[in-house]
Amino acid sequence: MIFLESIVSAVLSSALIASVGYYAEKFKITTLSFCVAHAALAGAAIGLVFRVDPTYSGMILAVSSAIALGIILPRIYLKDVLILSLFSFFSAVALVAIYFSNTTVLATTTLSMVLWGSILAVDIRKLIMILAILVTFAIYLRTFKSQIDSIIFDKELAEAEGIDVYFHTLALLAFMGLAIALALRITGGFLIFALLYIPVSASLLIAETARNQLIVAITFGCISAVVGFVVSYTLDLPIGSSITVVAAAILLISAAFSKKRFAVYE
Amino acid sequence: MKVNLENVYVAYSGSKKPAIRGVSLSLDKGIHVITGPNGAGKTTLLETVIGLLKPYKGNAYLFGVNTKSRKIFKIRRKCSYVPQDFMKPPSEAYTGLDVIKLGLVFNQEYNSITKLAEELDAVELLEKPFGKLSGGQQQKIMILRALARNPELLLMDEPFSSLDRKTKRRLYNIIKKFNNKLVIVVCHEYSVMEKISDSIITMEEGKIIDIS
Repeated sequence: MIFLESIVSAVLSSALIASVGYYAEKFKITTLSFCVAHAALAGAAIGLVFRVDPTYSGMILAVSSAIALGIILPRIYLKDVLILSLFSFFSAVALVAIYFSNTTVLATTTLSMVLWGSILAVDIRKLIMILAILVTFAIYLRTFKSQIDSIIFDKELAEAEGIDVYFHTLALLAFMGLAIALALRITGGFLIFALLYIPVSASLLIAETARNQLIVAITFGCISAVVGFVVSYTLDLPIGSSITVVAAAILLISAAFSKKRFAVYE
Repeated sequence: MKVNLENVYVAYSGSKKPAIRGVSLSLDKGIHVITGPNGAGKTTLLETVIGLLKPYKGNAYLFGVNTKSRKIFKIRRKCSYVPQDFMKPPSEAYTGLDVIKLGLVFNQEYNSITKLAEELDAVELLEKPFGKLSGGQQQKIMILRALARNPELLLMDEPFSSLDRKTKRRLYNIIKKFNNKLVIVVCHEYSVMEKISDSIITMEEGKIIDIS
């Protein structure tokens, strides 16, 4: 039963994180996601110190920093410098919090779950939460499909034609914060990008239409999670690293078969 | 007034020198051409009118709403904008028709795409992949997208730059039909537009130096 719960969670988390990663890439907010991911890691580590569920504390810091950045960034100069500074800041906060959590003799399995992910990290409550966020994200995409497609085609033109690009960017950032904080339990804080961008990169190499790119990204994310899960279970390896290795292998195979691998892609 | 700029100064992020300086302009109807040398601030002025660029000094109003206001995104639904450079990579899997339809998101009353495409001699481009079209063909599609929206305000940045002589004449005739609305065209060779325009706005070094 635990095995089934874990594998279903891994698949749903991968689907959620790969679809969020796909839209983050298309909205050109990938650098921002590095910051949000480390905010989630810092939040989870702070949760360890205060003995709060790291998923919830990770969610709070990830979502609040994602929305704050979405509000602040359009108004300031040197955006990338701010993102990189915050990325370093959140990493430092995470490491300091982990240092303090060790002194309070926390269970090492909880700590390793935050850092490297855990095969047994997801209980039924978290599973329902992942499913709820996935369904909400799907409803959001369906409701605003034509507006989102227009932003993907050309963000500036969509803005000039009256689409609320600001609202959609904030909404996507909020979903990103939630998805990263939840997937953190499976991949760990340092390897979250494996699920966020490797399946997306592979899909961009082999699929043409926006719809197919999204479907392929989600499929690759799910395959990485399931195969990574089985490898981790059978060889007793950390799950996050196993998923990353499988995702990287899929990317290499996609690149080998892609006609676009040497082309400049924007 | 559909467009009202009051002593507007706009600078690009990180630049100390304003791209447009102390520009005041009120336009409500008719066809107006903005001309001037490279770097005069023509595109900046157009982007300020639509609210993509916000003034750091002075105020810009579009249909009476300050472009700094959050409400401006709804006002922009009455407008169409044809940007100057529009090259998408060949991998973008949209047809010409898809690209036009992406501009009709709010189901507003729109002009017949086929009729407009016939007028602009672009019917065969509708089903072709947009990313594989030439610069001039992509420009035709972007113009069709703007026209199909049946806008109250039509902003065009160098719409003639990649078009052949025949298509330029066709576009000129289409623009003429919009003279009861507001059309602002940035145009290097303003002689093309001279006969149908209500005013020629000349810019230099970020300032309007003449309106004739």
